[in-house]
Amino acid sequence: MQEAIDRLRAEGLSRIAQADSPDALESVRVGLLGRKGELTGLLRGLKDVSDDQRPAAGAALNQLKLELTAALENRTGDLAGAGAGSMDLDLTLPGRAPVQLGTAHPLLSVLEEICDIFYGMGYDRGDGPEVELDYYNFTALNFPDDHPARDIQDTFFLNEDMLLRTQTSPVQVRTMERVQPPLAYVFPGRVYRNENADASHSSEFYQIEGLRVDRNISLVDLRETVNAFIASFFGGERQTRFRPHFFPFTEPSVEVDMECVKCSGKGCGVCGQTGWLEIMGAGMVHPNVFKAAGYPDDAYTGFAFGMGIDRIAMLKYGIDDIRLLYENDLRFLNQFRGVL
Amino acid sequence: MKISLDWLADLVSWDDTPQDLATKLTAAGLNVEEIGEYAQSWPGVVVAKVVSCERHPDADKLSLCKVDAGSGESVQVICGAPNVREGLQVLFATVGSVLPGDFKIKKAKIRGVESFGMICSGAELGLDSDAAGIIELEGDHALGTPADDLFGHRDTVLDIEVTPNRPDWLSHLGVAREVAAIYRTKVTPPPVLKPGQGGGFGWKVEIEDYDDCPRYTAHGADDVAIGPAPRWMQNRLRAIGQRPVNNVVDITNYVLFELGQPLHAFDRERLAGEVISVRRAGRKQSVATLDDESRQILAEDLVITDGDGPVALAGVMGLANSQVTEGTSTILLESAFFSPRLVRVCSRRLGLVSESSYRFEREADWEMVRFAAHRALHLLQEFAGATILGDAVDRAYPDYVAPEGLALRVHQANRVLGTDLDMEQTADLLQLLGLKVQPLSSQIEGKTVNLMVEVPSFRRDLKQEIDLVEEIARVHGFDQGLGQGTGHVLIPGRRRALRHEVERKLRSWLPSQGYTEIVTSTFVARSDIDGLGLAEGDVRLECLAVLNPQHGGETLLRTSLVPGFVDVARRNLNSGAPAPVRLFQIGRVFWPAGEKAQEVRHEQERLLPEEPWLLQMGIAGGSGGKGLGGIPTDMQELRGVVAELSGLLRVPLSLIPADVEPYLIPGLQWEIRDAGGNRVGVAGQIDSGAAKRLDLDHVAGLVELDLGRLDLTPLPVRYEPFSRFPAVKRDLSLLVPDTVTYAQLDAVVRDTAGDLLESLELFDIYAGKGIDDGHSAYGIRLKFRSAKGNLKGKTVDMALERTLGALSETLAVRQRTQ
Repeated sequence: MQEAIDRLRAEGLSRIAQADSPDALESVRVGLLGRKGELTGLLRGLKDVSDDQRPAAGAALNQLKLELTAALENRTGDLAGAGAGSMDLDLTLPGRAPVQLGTAHPLLSVLEEICDIFYGMGYDRGDGPEVELDYYNFTALNFPDDHPARDIQDTFFLNEDMLLRTQTSPVQVRTMERVQPPLAYVFPGRVYRNENADASHSSEFYQIEGLRVDRNISLVDLRETVNAFIASFFGGERQTRFRPHFFPFTEPSVEVDMECVKCSGKGCGVCGQTGWLEIMGAGMVHPNVFKAAGYPDDAYTGFAFGMGIDRIAMLKYGIDDIRLLYENDLRFLNQFRGVL
Repeated sequence: MKISLDWLADLVSWDDTPQDLATKLTAAGLNVEEIGEYAQSWPGVVVAKVVSCERHPDADKLSLCKVDAGSGESVQVICGAPNVREGLQVLFATVGSVLPGDFKIKKAKIRGVESFGMICSGAELGLDSDAAGIIELEGDHALGTPADDLFGHRDTVLDIEVTPNRPDWLSHLGVAREVAAIYRTKVTPPPVLKPGQGGGFGWKVEIEDYDDCPRYTAHGADDVAIGPAPRWMQNRLRAIGQRPVNNVVDITNYVLFELGQPLHAFDRERLAGEVISVRRAGRKQSVATLDDESRQILAEDLVITDGDGPVALAGVMGLANSQVTEGTSTILLESAFFSPRLVRVCSRRLGLVSESSYRFEREADWEMVRFAAHRALHLLQEFAGATILGDAVDRAYPDYVAPEGLALRVHQANRVLGTDLDMEQTADLLQLLGLKVQPLSSQIEGKTVNLMVEVPSFRRDLKQEIDLVEEIARVHGFDQGLGQGTGHVLIPGRRRALRHEVERKLRSWLPSQGYTEIVTSTFVARSDIDGLGLAEGDVRLECLAVLNPQHGGETLLRTSLVPGFVDVARRNLNSGAPAPVRLFQIGRVFWPAGEKAQEVRHEQERLLPEEPWLLQMGIAGGSGGKGLGGIPTDMQELRGVVAELSGLLRVPLSLIPADVEPYLIPGLQWEIRDAGGNRVGVAGQIDSGAAKRLDLDHVAGLVELDLGRLDLTPLPVRYEPFSRFPAVKRDLSLLVPDTVTYAQLDAVVRDTAGDLLESLELFDIYAGKGIDDGHSAYGIRLKFRSAKGNLKGKTVDMALERTLGALSETLAVRQRTQ
């Protein structure tokens, strides 16, 4: 019996290995394991084996059956795989993911990106209300009542005391009222100006404000911080310049220009041939603002800066009309897939 | 502010190209926005003599002339001017020349007669507004002389952005002072004429309140001959965009732009009495300003009056009743210092911003009041033939004191600027600006002061020490000599606060689920909010309104994100976006002030609205297909997204069927609850009525989650051992009465199946053939697993028996038999 089993193992395995098509393999299987197959025949012959040898023979036959079955399965798999090429599939057909990717809004992605840079420099992020008191938006920021300085920002009023904030700067005073220096914050958010919309103006837009206060912060710290930010965001060695300017809540006040992102200072349409792009307003916190925040005279110095996120997003992505950022047209938004 | 370099060169000298000058001015804070080349030039226009002039054979009003333009040959030209005549010297535009307005001179045939050019009027050349007749040149010019030699002007004009703190830069003199500081030269003041003591001017000035008008001067001039201003003056005014009128008006304008002090010339003949009074109008009345507009003034407006009433709105504009005209021969010249606030209030209310009001509201220069008048007198004498009267009036605030000196601590300047300047260097920098500086070393209020700086009247913006610090930075330059900072990095690598972390997660995960982020407007119309069909008393109906909206119509602050979503969905679907569109937004809405629990620093803060911070996501334009149990597939998806979002944020959220919002379909909405059972959001499909009102033709499902109200603290992560033994699965087919909800079924199964139940999944619902009426067949799959070993079938069977018993007893749910 054992001889017959060994012979069948050798022959069976070889026949399985030689089968070169699923059909051929099927007939091998029937020849071995089918109702009239050779292994089935041996199993039937068990009844003729003597009682003392029968258990061992039975076990050996079972073992052989498992081996042959496994070999058949393997060979089936092989043949299927090998057959794929010959099944003539068009492998250039498109794939299909369960969902199609949506998009994060580029404006808010730029906002996050800017915040990330400042988190890395040790800044916290703060928030304030969009409907703001005249006090925080103007008075506490050293805008005198009835002064032309208030005309720089056309304001939407809700009543005598309440308005839609025209800048993120009111969060400066709100924060300093609660937090003692040293402090470093960015305050991003939506702001409002009563201006007619055109390619570069929107009555709603986004700003980010930065504030750092400590015992001896100087204009040089401002400069280094601004340069570090610009290098990080726009990349590369990029020249900047500080131009004296006027904001009631900082003094000295500056506007920061950077070398044009497109022409690198040679002059082009983006920078109006000047080679420079105005990127933010900044300055040293005015002592009157510290006073409004309740800090003692002369105790601290600090800097603040503010920039338009829309403008930066437009520079970064070559967007030529700010209104695109607020139309939410999917043909626009879909171009920013994968940007976060 | 436009600055003519031709003009500026009268006041200061510099040796640089316009471009370099502009760069240096910009670096000093006078941002030069444009460098313009101004040219008044007429190539091809020359002096010619009319050698003959006859009537046009076919037209009464036209003349047929022959002119000689220097070549000796006469050219035939038709002229329509009434004053053309033989012997005149005229300006002749030859064929091919181009006049202002891109008017090309061509050979023409006029009423059958050929004409080779044009004899020009002042209007045609853009020299003046005289279009009635041709220019009659005075004197004898060589024929053929280019018109440019007589009237041409070339100039470079800088357009400078002037910030509101620097009214002194609103003049050529002010800019000249900066140029002098940059190039370390001196300003040359223009010539002036002081009136004598000789008498002849009997006028008095009364000032009702010196707070309204701290200073008022009046000067008299007689024998004024009104005529055109000198050509150079007209040219300069034109170069900076002003239109010349006549010599008197032009002179007052010229002084305004030269010195920054607004002046006004009254026709003295047209004034009643001999007293000028500066006072509040006292009553509401309507007046005619000299721009020919009728304007309403109020009792509190400051006016200049003669014996009869107002003759000027102080600092804003003169009135027509006393303005200088062609026939004027005597004038009263006003130069004053008006309250910036009053000028501003009046000018803003009337919507009348004049060159004068613009300067007065930024504050005039005290010392310049008289100097500017003297400058104008000089020009009137020179160019209007005026005789200047003595006995000028100068009424000034009796208590006026020149501003005190400002103390400067050099170390404080260094502290703010990061510089290392000593006292001498600091003093030098300030002196370059024309400030007088006294070194001293004394204690003032316990602080060591090093310099005392005298502030001139034209720098009243210098009010405190920090203003001087800024001046030092400006003159020193921001690009050079600054020292080292304290280092910009504080504590590296701050982390986002929780709410920003949550926002970040949502903004990265929702796109991966197919949702696109939108940014919608804060502003909504009343119809947007009405469209929601909110019940009376709903806080969202009480929108805050903008007092001064842009387009007249009512502009409200949104109390819901729904109108914004609907608008974006509609526009995208209408423009052919593949349906459905999946959108989300994270934004604020504005609900009128409720109770403010926390203490407020300013009482008014209680007025501020609540600004809830919401996440909204939605699907619009879906096919309306139904899923398991007849629920729309879009809503099934949104429900699933909420469940996954709960996992993403590690914040438990549950959806409970409840009718919450009137704009969602009743019976097809859920409220979202937090772990404490509080409502933190809603999900549902927009009702057809609301969709119609909001103008949406598509099916849309929405989820809204109040992130501000939700406790975002994530569930902590702690590893728990898991079972490596195999699970036993059992599928059941249950006959469920329609009155029983899946939630009830789920609860009974979980309560009774024991600890070994690992999961329960509904995979099919079937009703119809073979199922009893009023019932559905639910296919559910239970998975059992033990932590201790392989489960025996018998153990699982016992648990199932328990569960089936309980289902049948409590819910009349039976196992379905084949």
